[in-house]
Amino acid sequence: MPYSIKDTILYVENLSVAYDGKVIIKDINFTEKDIHREDVVTGQVIAILGRSGRGKSTLFKALTGLVKPTSGQVLIRDIKNSTETDIKAKMVEEGDVGFVDQKYTLFRNKTILQALKFALRTSNLSEAEKQSKIETYIKEWGLEKVKNQYPNELSGGQRQRTAVIEQIFSSGNYMIMDEPFSGLDVGNVEDVKRSIHKIGEDHTLNTVIFSTHDIELAVSLADSIYVIGYPTINGKLENYGTIVGHFDLKAMHIAWQKFGASHLQLVEQIKTLMLNS
Amino acid sequence: MFKKLITPLEKLKAPFNLYIIVFWLLMVLGVWFAATSGQKHLIPSPAQVFKGFSDLFAEGLVTHVGSSLALCFQSVLYSIIVSLIVVYLSPLPLLKPLAAMISKFRYLPLTGITYYFTVFFQTARGMQIAVLVVFMSTFFITSLLSVIKDIPNEEFDHARTLKCSRWETLWEVIVKGRLDYVFDVLRQNLAIVWMMIVTVESILVAEGGLGVLIKNNDKFMNHGKIFALQIVILILGLLIDVFLNFCRKSLFRYSKF
Ligand SMILES: Nc1ncnc2c1ncn2[C@@H]1O[C@H](COP(=O)(O)OP(=O)(O)O)[C@@H](O)[C@H]1O
Ligand SMILES: [Mg+2]
Repeated sequence: MPYSIKDTILYVENLSVAYDGKVIIKDINFTEKDIHREDVVTGQVIAILGRSGRGKSTLFKALTGLVKPTSGQVLIRDIKNSTETDIKAKMVEEGDVGFVDQKYTLFRNKTILQALKFALRTSNLSEAEKQSKIETYIKEWGLEKVKNQYPNELSGGQRQRTAVIEQIFSSGNYMIMDEPFSGLDVGNVEDVKRSIHKIGEDHTLNTVIFSTHDIELAVSLADSIYVIGYPTINGKLENYGTIVGHFDLKAMHIAWQKFGASHLQLVEQIKTLMLNS
Repeated sequence: MFKKLITPLEKLKAPFNLYIIVFWLLMVLGVWFAATSGQKHLIPSPAQVFKGFSDLFAEGLVTHVGSSLALCFQSVLYSIIVSLIVVYLSPLPLLKPLAAMISKFRYLPLTGITYYFTVFFQTARGMQIAVLVVFMSTFFITSLLSVIKDIPNEEFDHARTLKCSRWETLWEVIVKGRLDYVFDVLRQNLAIVWMMIVTVESILVAEGGLGVLIKNNDKFMNHGKIFALQIVILILGLLIDVFLNFCRKSLFRYSKF
């Protein structure tokens, strides 16, 4: 499918994170650019794959500004101060990038309505506009019946959707989801896939990054896939995580398409790569 | 059927658990009657305890109970306010050691310190309250600190991703997000608080209270009355326990533990 590559929206350079002196991830470098397709609003969907403990969650914490990198930097587009022609970048800060963690954490003492209202507290919208925005999302995401319930009165899927909307309301165009498919049943998996599509179709700059253990799902959903694993250097397997493979499904001409033979081939390739890292 | 009763982790059908409770209650009562039926017995007989109750009423039990409850309410209120301020500020690195240190003071014996309070407080009531506030706070602070420690890191991160400043995170996650736990901390420490109150009342005698009643009746070895008094204290404690749980559950619908 024809597409064009515009300006950079995410730039990660030499990123490393260490906890108490122990290096968890190191030498992470990648760039993602704004993708345009004719007649379709297309955001970016990026999947991060890798075996457990390789540092996917740690990378996400660095990308969201929740953890200060030990070295390197994460730059995102400074949407507020950029124009068509003059694009500015900024270092990522807390709150710039939406983040839905593995447990879909919410405020335990806020109902869905209260939580969404809180997420909009700093927005410039008028009270009436906020109200209608909340109502629209609640309807569209199927939360109408449970909008006055607390997190511990919601199902996993409902909590996750609430967490996603909260982040859409509060952050800009970037959204990171840590293992959004784990522990969900078939129906919920479809829901989350739909949410990811929905975010992408909303705005060309919207960028969703998610991790998963389901390689097929990643291949069918993402247009760019990174594999995080332990690198082998001089024949020796190191024990910090880094990017051991990148697959640009757009360049491979298999992005935004029905799952087929070439997708399956890629799945096998990624599986081998993961097993060796 | 009997085999089931002594099988670990066995679940019985609905009414049987109730029957078992009733059985034990009857047993306790039965043993009490049987053990006190002779001429010489260590514990007072039900009749003696019953007489103890009516004597206590005559001595103004209701006023004494009121006095103890008032003391309890006042000192718990001051103490929880002090404790909450200390604990809510404990996430500040500068003040963290302070909260931890106060929490350690709970190992100090109550009696040795009371002397110093006599220096500062003129009225006995004021002194009682001061002593109780100091000692209760050490326990409240200990429990409240562990409530904060148990907050998963994800909850702080979640607030931060929603652009909460550090102070806002403190307010939303620690203060508002754990308000229901304050009731539970009160409830869990109630046993020790209740014991302290009775003790303090009998050491620093002021306007009566259950502690004074115990002390006076101890001297006369009136077992019936002492027993009756113990029962009153036990039941009051249990009632406050139930009341606090009821408050927590009705004020905070999401508080399901
Ligand atoms: N806060 C932390 N302190 C110390 N070590 C951590 C911390 N968080 C994660 N780790 C360690 O970092 C490694 C990578 O963890 P994580 O990023 O959660 O991996 P993944 O998400 O790929 O499973 C693990 O070995 C884990 O034990
Ligand atoms: Mg993880």
